[in-house]
Amino acid sequence: MSESNIIIELKGLTKRYGYGDTESFALKDFDLTIKRGEFIMIMGPSGCGKTTLLNIIGLLDRASRGEYILNGEDVAGISARRQAKLRAKKIGFIFQNFNLIEDLPIIENVALPMVYTGYSKTARLKNASSALKRFNLQEREYYLPYQLSGGQQQRVAIARAIVGNPEIILADEPTGNLDSRSSHTVMEELKAIHEEGNTIIMVTHNPALTTYATRVINMLDGQIDTDVKTVSDQNLPQPIDVKIKKRKIKPEVILGKIEPAKKRKRKSRRKK
Amino acid sequence: MALLLKTHFKLAKTSIKENRTRSFLTCLGIAIGVASIILILSLMGSISNLIKNEAAEIGPDLIVVRPSSSKDSLTNVINELTSSNTYEQSSLSLKDVSAISAMDDIAAVAPIATSTNTINSEKNNFPSVPILGTTPDFNKIEPLTLRYGTFFTDNNKENGVVLGHTLSLALFNTINSTVGKTITIMGEKFMVVGVLEEVDKSINFDDIDFDNALVMDINSLDKINGSTQIQQINIKATNTESLATISDNIKTELKNSKSGDENFTVAYGDEITHPASSLFVIVSGMLALVAAISLIVGGIGVMNIMLVSVAERTHEIGIRKAVGASSRNILMQFLFEALILSVLGGFFGLVLGYILAFLISIITPFAPYISWEILALTFLTTLAVGIVFGIYPALKAASKDPIESLKHYR
Repeated sequence: MSESNIIIELKGLTKRYGYGDTESFALKDFDLTIKRGEFIMIMGPSGCGKTTLLNIIGLLDRASRGEYILNGEDVAGISARRQAKLRAKKIGFIFQNFNLIEDLPIIENVALPMVYTGYSKTARLKNASSALKRFNLQEREYYLPYQLSGGQQQRVAIARAIVGNPEIILADEPTGNLDSRSSHTVMEELKAIHEEGNTIIMVTHNPALTTYATRVINMLDGQIDTDVKTVSDQNLPQPIDVKIKKRKIKPEVILGKIEPAKKRKRKSRRKK
Repeated sequence: MALLLKTHFKLAKTSIKENRTRSFLTCLGIAIGVASIILILSLMGSISNLIKNEAAEIGPDLIVVRPSSSKDSLTNVINELTSSNTYEQSSLSLKDVSAISAMDDIAAVAPIATSTNTINSEKNNFPSVPILGTTPDFNKIEPLTLRYGTFFTDNNKENGVVLGHTLSLALFNTINSTVGKTITIMGEKFMVVGVLEEVDKSINFDDIDFDNALVMDINSLDKINGSTQIQQINIKATNTESLATISDNIKTELKNSKSGDENFTVAYGDEITHPASSLFVIVSGMLALVAAISLIVGGIGVMNIMLVSVAERTHEIGIRKAVGASSRNILMQFLFEALILSVLGGFFGLVLGYILAFLISIITPFAPYISWEILALTFLTTLAVGIVFGIYPALKAASKDPIESLKHYR
């Protein structure tokens, strides 16, 4: 196993909330090394710091102290702007409540990360379209999120997470809002993505899902309780290099696909 | 970057379309502010255009002397406002008129003095009729078209007067048989020698509404009132090339006769077209200021709506940040929205303002005046309003914490 296969290195990561009497630690001297191609499941009771960990890895949050090395680059103290850039290029998020923008058709939701990495509109829509096709949602490109079932929405969210070809996919209880059938579909999709060589870090409460993982970490009070690898490092899937061509798409090839969305009444949308 | 700007523009467009009523009302706030500014600017422009055109008609050989060099001071304006006679303290006198007449290269000199008196005719009597006192030369400088009769001359100037079109109608209920009739002013009898053609130009560089005025010799006016205040001296030069030299000569001559006091201004060419009274400038300035206040109110409307929009879309901001939008991206997105609202409002205001100006032009002599300066000014003003009132909501949106925002539901 070569050194370059390490994608994330956390050293002495500490996240503190409050000061003095109210001081509490979400993470305390947390050390973790993640290799490319791992599918990690993080488990533990509520408030043990799982989500905080995910947010810090996803560069949405900052640690109070400690080192975070992403792809050999120390990113603990970088500017918010650089954080955003890395987030756009290297990280894909999947959330428990899907977090799709309700006013945008799903194809534009999927294309969203590429807005901030400088792709032309045609390139964005083409990539989003092929990502949706992969999840069998190609016929619903111009549906709005509320018109889809929970499982479909989560698949849209997964499509959004992988569309920019990120190096790490972070999933925060992706099946938490889904029934068991949809959960199964979503997990199969994640498994397929993992087998293509993607690194996935997933937080879950459901022990049944750990069968999908190559490594299961149990957390307790901001520290690692147990850390079990079920697949040896040698057997991790190797990344497939998928390159997205930037802005080099002939518009006429895909123009047919970019039919404008049909206007739908806003009022009927508020179901939940 | 350009690509991202295009995206921001599109996003803003979508968001504005989604909240159509709200956006329209916000635009309306800006539009009303802009419309009132446009209306005022357009009217001001058309007024100076009217004066400019008139000066051009009179000819390029006109020199004008006006009293008081400290015209622009506020105290002076307030004096004008409060005193019953506009030019009570005029620094020009009949002596100056004769001094100028004696100079070289001068073709004609006509002083202008105004007063208001009661006029009695056989049938009616009218209080507060504006009377213009001048000399027979006036007709050489500024040829007035007469409907009937003639302008008074050196021969009949002692008791010959010329009536404005409307005034003639008011005094005698007629215009065609007015010539030869007698009127009485302050006990003095005068004979009407001419009636003016209808001019319908209440705004001109002499500041006189000829339709309603009575024109008589300045010496006669002096006799009636006991004294006259000359508010302007119109001078026609013999050649147009040396206007600068001639006006300099007039300046020196008057200065000498007034023992060094330079309490008058000598103007020629474009300078004449400046409105005769600084009161006009101050009043229109104040109107523009009031209009600007309504624009500020419109701007506050934009800010208010943007704050609502930011609050409503907190979740969206969280999602965008999570997928890689920087604070700057979010800032631009919301700033663009404010800018589009404001500029769109400005455009509506422009149209509305000109429609109003056009409606006003139907009943007044003010033609709507459009210039690229006004268009550019509108665009820049609304842009500035958009930035000033859009930056705070946009900053607020940009500074939202992604984790907190993601927890935020509508």
